Order: sequence, then C-alpha cells, then structure tokens
Amino acid sequence: MIDRRTLLKTGAAALTATLASRTAFAQNGGDINVGVVLPLTGASAQFGINSRNGLELAVDRLNSSGGIKSMGGARIKLIVADATSAPTAAATAAQRLISQNEVVAVIGAYVSSLTLAVSEVLERRGIPLLTISYADQLTERGFKNVFRINPKASALGRAQVDACIDISADSGRKLERVAIVYEDTAYGTSQSAGLRAACKEKNLSIVMDEAYPQGITDVTPLINKLRAADAQVLFPVSYLNDTLQIVRSMRQQQVQVPVVGGAGGFILPEFGQSLGEFAEGVLSVNSSNYDLDPESAKLYRDRYNYPMVHDAIEHAALIEILAQTLEKTKSSAASDLRAAMTETRFEGGWINGMPGGAIDFDETGHNTLAVPIIIQWKGGEQATVWPKQFEKVSPTWTN
Amino acid sequence: MKRARNLLVAGAGLALALILPMAVDANGYAVRVLTLVLLFAAMAQAWNIVGGLASQMSLGHAAFFGLGAYTSTLLLIHFGLSPWIGMIASALVGGAAAFALSLPTMRLKGHYFALATLAFAEVFRVAANAWSSLTGGPVGLSIPYGEPSFLMMQFQDTRSYYYLALSAFAVVTVVFAAIKFSSLGYRLRAIRENQAAAEVVGVQTTKVKIQAAVISGCLTAALGTIYAQLNFFFDPDSVFAALQISIRVALITIVGGIGTVVGPLVGAVFIIPLEELTNVLFADKAAGLSQLVYGLLLIVIVLIQPRGLAALVGSALARRPKTSGAGT
Repeated sequence: MIDRRTLLKTGAAALTATLASRTAFAQNGGDINVGVVLPLTGASAQFGINSRNGLELAVDRLNSSGGIKSMGGARIKLIVADATSAPTAAATAAQRLISQNEVVAVIGAYVSSLTLAVSEVLERRGIPLLTISYADQLTERGFKNVFRINPKASALGRAQVDACIDISADSGRKLERVAIVYEDTAYGTSQSAGLRAACKEKNLSIVMDEAYPQGITDVTPLINKLRAADAQVLFPVSYLNDTLQIVRSMRQQQVQVPVVGGAGGFILPEFGQSLGEFAEGVLSVNSSNYDLDPESAKLYRDRYNYPMVHDAIEHAALIEILAQTLEKTKSSAASDLRAAMTETRFEGGWINGMPGGAIDFDETGHNTLAVPIIIQWKGGEQATVWPKQFEKVSPTWTN
Repeated sequence: MKRARNLLVAGAGLALALILPMAVDANGYAVRVLTLVLLFAAMAQAWNIVGGLASQMSLGHAAFFGLGAYTSTLLLIHFGLSPWIGMIASALVGGAAAFALSLPTMRLKGHYFALATLAFAEVFRVAANAWSSLTGGPVGLSIPYGEPSFLMMQFQDTRSYYYLALSAFAVVTVVFAAIKFSSLGYRLRAIRENQAAAEVVGVQTTKVKIQAAVISGCLTAALGTIYAQLNFFFDPDSVFAALQISIRVALITIVGGIGTVVGPLVGAVFIIPLEELTNVLFADKAAGLSQLVYGLLLIVIVLIQPRGLAALVGSALARRPKTSGAGT
C-alpha cells in the first residue's frame, strides 16, 4: 500500500525533477539546443544551404566523436529555422528558437540585414549570436551578444584595393586607374561604396563607376565603356548570373583587363564550371578558402560532392567555437558562454580553414584576427594568392 | 438590433484580445506572432479604406509604411524625439505622400491604378537605397538601444508591444467603421458601384477618393513607426517591399473579406500564423517547401470562397444565404 507520505514524497520528487530537467539534461549527456537561422528560401537560399551543410558536417563529427566531454558527452542539436528573405521573419524565427526550443546560442543569419534584425532580438534576451555576416555596424552598436568571425565589409573593400596594388606592383606596374561596376541592389551599393572609399584612400582615380540592373540582359554597353575607360583593373560587384555575362563578354571581346570580384558570384564553384577557360586568372576577395585546410575540405567534398565554399568553412568554424566554449564553461548558461567567448582564443579543428588560423573576439564581438584574402581561379579551382603569408600559389597579373 | 449585436461581438472580441497574452509567456514566440497578427490586421484595415471601400486596388502602401518607419526613426536618431511624436510626424508625411500620389493616379482604373501605385512604392525603395546620407542606405537603420521607457516606445516585454499593436488595430478599425457608415462611406460605395452615376448625382468623385487615400496613407505611415519600434531594425528592402508589405496587406484583406470590418482581422489571423506554421513544419525539410505549401493553401482558400474567409465564417454562423458580412 502507498501511504500519503510516500505519495507526497514521490510527487515532490517528480516535480523537482521536471523543474530541474533543463539543467540536468544539458549536464548528463543530453542535447544542447543550438538555434540556426538561415535563408533557406529566396534569393540567398543557395548560400544558406551551403552554410547549413557546413554546420551539419561539423556537428555530426563532434557528436560522433563523443560530444562535449566536460559535460558528460552532451550532444549539440541544431534547430534550423528559415530566415526567408525578410528581416521580420528572421527575427520572429529567432524568437521562436529562444522560447520554444530553449537554445543556448543562435547561429545566423548570413545576409547582413537578417543578421541585424536577429541580433536585436538576441541582445534583448541575452543569448549569444555567432555570425559570418560582413556589415560593419553589426559589431559597432555596443551589443554584448554578437560574435562575428569574418572581417568587416569595409575591410573587404580595402583588401581588394591593397591586393591589386601589391600584385600589379609585383609584375612591375603601377596601379592608377580603376573601374567599378556593381548591381543596383543593397549588396552592390554597399560593397561598391567600400571600394570607392578604399580607392580614395590610395589616391586611385576611378575612371568608370557604373551601376547596372541586377539580371542585366545585355552587357555590351558596359564592356564598351570599360574598353574606352582604359582602366587597369575592373572591380565588379555581382551575383552569379551577371558575373558570368560580364566576364564572358569581356573575354570574348578581347578585353583583357584583370578582374577582381567582390565575393558574391565570383567565389561560387559554378563560376568556374560555367566559364571554363574564361574563368582562368579572375581574382576575388574572400573571407576564407578551402585550400587553407585541405583535410577538412576533403571531408566536406566527400559528403556533399561539392567544394567546401567559404560559407561552409566559416559555419563549421562557428561550431568549433561553440564546442570549445562549452567544453570550457561546462554550462550552457548564456552569460557563461558570453564571458568565455570573449576571453578565449580559439584554435584548431575547423578553425584551421580560417585565414590566421585562430579567432580572438574583442569586447565588441569583432574577431581581431580576421583577415580578408584574395583568391585566383587557376585550373578550375580557387587558390589563395594574397596576402603573402597565406599565399598557396603565386598570383598572376595579366594586362 | 443588428448594430447592438455587432457592438456586443466587438466588445467580447476586445475582452478576449486583452486577456489572451496573459495565457502565454510574456516574451515568448506566441506573443510575438499575435503582435504581428494585430499589426498586419491594422495595416490591412488601413488599406481596406482605399482597397475595400473605394475599390482602388493599391499595391503601393509600402510607400506610406516605409515613409512612416523612416520619418519617426530618423527623428529619433538625430533629435532624440519620442516615437509617439514621431508617429504624428510620420502620419503627416504619409498623408502628404498619399495626396501627392492621388492627384495623378485617381483617374486611373483597375490594373492601371495598381501598377502606378506599385511603381510609386518602388521609387521610394530605390531612393532609400541610394540616398545613403539620409537613410543609411541599404544597410538599414537600427533603433538606438536604450533603457525601456514608455516615452521612447521601448518596452521590456513583448506583451507591451502586443497591447500597442492591439490599440493600433482598434484605432484603425474605429476609423474604418466610422468612414464606412458615414456619408463618406456611402459616397465611396457609390463610386465603386458606378463612378459616372455617382458623379451625376453630385458626388465629387476625385475629392472623395483623395480623402480616403489620405486617411489611409496617414494610418499606414503611423503603423510604420510601430513596426520600426517593434522590430528595432529595418532596411529599405523590408519596409518598402512590394511582396512583404504592399501585396501582403492586400492579400490579407482579400483573403479575409474585402470591404468588411472584420475581414482584415480574419485574414491576418489566418495568414500570419499560416506563414509561421509552414515555416516551422517544413523549413528544415526541402528548401522552399514551406512557401510552396503556403502558396497552395492560399490558392485553395481563394477557390473555396472568393469573397473571403469572413464570408465563409459568416455563412457558417448564420446559415442564411444572405449574410451580414461581405458586401454591405
């Protein structure tokens, strides 16, 4: 027979267990929920999917090799939400992950405007956001919960200009006249503004500065103008379809001006596949590249049959950061994670794919070791050619 | 009698709306979704003045909405002006823009009017992207992060934003109902039925249409301010968006029941959670599946009841061929 006392005891125990289950779960080898907000539909879907693949690969390997050891082998569980292409939807998704899934951190949201919207929600709830988005102001609003591993957008623009000056000087030329061509979207306008500022700093004269409608049907006028402008280098800021047209038409019309792309379409594998020999020698700025850590890149290529693009590398690195942080804190409390992330210098594992090979956040959440790199298309692959300390293949400058 | 019954239903609905957030987590996801439902219901109701009463299919309401968001936020950033006052400034700017748009477009009918208004909003989107020195350009604007205070329209818990959105919806609905049952409402309906006949009996059609457009523009712009305060961040592509704002408010009204008082609420209660639900259920499956399901469901709804969900609900409740909902 069960007397009243036993019943009360069991009841109380059950109640306590339920209340404590959240903490207990995380410490006894249960799941640690990590939110992922990425654009899986709309214009940026391809980038969101590459990013998700990087995350899944890193998490699967972490979990199969014993999870977070200091927490009794706790496993990281990704809760994925579609950010769509609207900041409001992205913010709502983040809100959902926090209140429904009790995530300890959120990773996302690739597109800067989406990330900015998500960061506003997370800052107010005190949950860390790990991101690869470039927008300068992400880490310039005094937020305590934003951690960004990539260089700022303005640094990318400067790197493009600096690299051109360096590389052309190596081949015995002095860079003076540049051309900027960009799509008339948020991405094109903001990135070209960074380029323009960088050119001004270095006293380069911009002999052509032209916006074109995204999805342009005839690039011939642009190419003619470029030919007439007598520029020594072209900085195009475009996504895939437009980049293909611009580079193909240039090469077909024997305009041999070196091309230095602003990431976007220039660092997609499809760029090399579609253009074949026309892709050869095209340069682009990037924030990481697969030849910096061939071992990890091979794991990715074997699983997805696709090169480990920078989005995937960087998102895998975010998992590495999170795993090392949890290993150190032994707790999934947001305040502990935040403190540990600011204090720790992260190295090894998936971070080997990042230029600099380590990540160190300052109090604004900016990675002080982030460096933009320049890649060049060689034989259908992207090779890191600048700056000197990360150079895998020496750059060529044809003009 | 019917009027008394309607007031009773409205009162009961309001009481329910007031206690609803008490049942859920104050900062939770449910409150946020409910807040968005009410905000979009309010926007749809403002659109309903032009789209429903005057039957002018505006696809450019994002212009007023975005102007509202930018006006109050810029005043807040540069002059520290309270968004409550900023909201009034937004309404004035929105009204002025609606007036400016009305002058050349009020003579246009049907598709031509829709296209002209669509282009009008696009002009603002492109301008806001290009004019970086004023608008911050494509990277958008953030509401300065500050201590929660009523004066600055910043609150600690999401529940407060819910009540803000609820009040906004109530105000816009009262305005809509007042117009609908006033002489202005009758004139608008006369124009909708037959513009030439309305003119013959002495309705100043252009003036009446401009009045409706300006009121609608004012309200939509004020709602832009609330959106900015709720979301803390926006960029030109999100507030001047054709699909996310202009077409969405029209869609909500049409699915709910165009021209009716309850239509926008019914539409928003249906559409916003549906979007969320498809996202929750299908986002981690195949990419794009969530939007495909969402699209298919919308098609089904419009096929089942072209007059909107309000008519569907109305006929189910009344079980009478002629309902009090649509068309009156």
